[in-house]
Amino acid sequence: MTALTDFSISIQRRFGRQRLRKFILGLIPFALLIGLWELNTAFVWFDPVEIPPIADVWEAIFWLQSDCPGFMAAVDGHNSCQLSNNILSSIGRVILATVVGVPLGIGFGILAGMNRTISAYLEPIGVFMNSVSGIAWIPLAVVWFGVGWETTLFIMLNTIFWLLFFNTMMGVRAVPKVLVQGVQTLGGSHLDAIRQVYLPGAMPSIITGGRMAMGFGWRALIAAEMIGGDSGLGFMIFVSASEFKTEEVFLGVILISIIFLATDRWILVPLEKWTIERWGLVWKPT
Amino acid sequence: MTTADPAPVRRKTLRKRLTDSRAVQLIILTIGVFILWGIISAVIERPDRYLPSPLTTLISSADLLEKGVLISFYSDTLTRLVIGSIVGLLMGIPFGLILGLNRTIADMFYPLMNFFQSVSGIAIFPIIVIWFGNSSTTVMIVILYTSFFPIAFNVLSGVRSVPMRYISAARTMGASRFQIIRDVLLPGAMPSVAIGSRLSIGFAWRAVIAGEMLAGQAGLGNMIFAGQELDNTAQIILGMALIGFTWILLDHFLLRPLESDTIERWGLVTR
Repeated sequence: MTALTDFSISIQRRFGRQRLRKFILGLIPFALLIGLWELNTAFVWFDPVEIPPIADVWEAIFWLQSDCPGFMAAVDGHNSCQLSNNILSSIGRVILATVVGVPLGIGFGILAGMNRTISAYLEPIGVFMNSVSGIAWIPLAVVWFGVGWETTLFIMLNTIFWLLFFNTMMGVRAVPKVLVQGVQTLGGSHLDAIRQVYLPGAMPSIITGGRMAMGFGWRALIAAEMIGGDSGLGFMIFVSASEFKTEEVFLGVILISIIFLATDRWILVPLEKWTIERWGLVWKPT
Repeated sequence: MTTADPAPVRRKTLRKRLTDSRAVQLIILTIGVFILWGIISAVIERPDRYLPSPLTTLISSADLLEKGVLISFYSDTLTRLVIGSIVGLLMGIPFGLILGLNRTIADMFYPLMNFFQSVSGIAIFPIIVIWFGNSSTTVMIVILYTSFFPIAFNVLSGVRSVPMRYISAARTMGASRFQIIRDVLLPGAMPSVAIGSRLSIGFAWRAVIAGEMLAGQAGLGNMIFAGQELDNTAQIILGMALIGFTWILLDHFLLRPLESDTIERWGLVTR
């Protein structure tokens, strides 16, 4: 008994009482949900086609990877590694769209933020583009690029670019003119002003925009893969659903949200915190 | 000493005044976009397939109008949006309120909500289709699912943001629990309700388009999707333009004023 009490006290000391309480309370609904799910398997209130057993969802991982000859082949994208291929192609598109879209969005955003005339013409286009949500572009993208890589990439790029453009522009505009003039008085060129003032000043706003872009972009990407893709997690769940392989659909949906949560929690949120701490002087929360 | 010169009045030239006015800039931009669009569509091969000229698009809209399809699609989509967002808000606001009022319940459900919010409505779409088939119910469920979370989260943080001293003050003067909710917490959370509603309706709008596309239910989303399958690119572009402009009008003339009015009226707590 004392060992148990000691253990509980040491855990409470280690993690903090409040955090521990929060964690355990937060676990309850998940446990209930999983319990209900398991009960459904036992009593079959809903057909397995509608709600598959947890064990089946777990096994779907191995079933989808069953013909895969090994880890290196999975990384290489061997044809029969279905699950890892779909995951890799979704993530690959995200990375590619980020590499191309982020510099473009930031570049145009800085230009528009610095120059009233440019922003007067680019801003309305941006408003319109953000209103025609990423998903509404899919049919036109399919007409232009056909089903496949280009379409999904285009949708993702389109979503990322305009959101980043907007946020960068707003961030640059919020930079106090005094700081820019300070740099110019000291003999700084336009490029210096961009590098030393505009970019750092707009950084927190850019990162916030990047987080938003990732959220919207990931959703748009999944939708694009469903309608106009030939690989990726969105494609996988759509095809599996039409074949009524519900366990694969559940697996795909869970993976989609885990990947999103992980990138948000472990990459974007820390990045956001760090930039706001590092460069957050200029930026004021709206 | 002579009187000081009057401050020089800065006079803008007519040209500068014209190019500085937003309306003129917008008109120039619109004309420019249309001209560019026309030129591109004249230059490329098979413009009917890839980018029909503005005129062709306009003719196709007249055609759709004449058949009466355009109006019926449009009203279908709007009806879905209105019903979906109203029901979504009616579910999300009380839920957020309950979570905001009780810290234990909030701690319990917050992680779950966070998880389900990151499972986007589009991703669960295939599951809903297995459950309910390609029907309007499916579209409606996806709309409700996507519009529920933003409003619930915003109401929650709105209730939390009411300073404790207002609650204490009301309690000191003998207010009951119900009175505190009605007179302190609800008005205090009003700005967040307005912000969350706008966000929710924005999400609902995307969900309507996606849902109609994927479930094949009549509406603007399906109109652009059918346009792709029928090789009728003019119809796609028309649908996209309608989707964009509807949202801009809705946002600019209804949601934004509503939001700023609410913040002005009840916004003493925030800002």
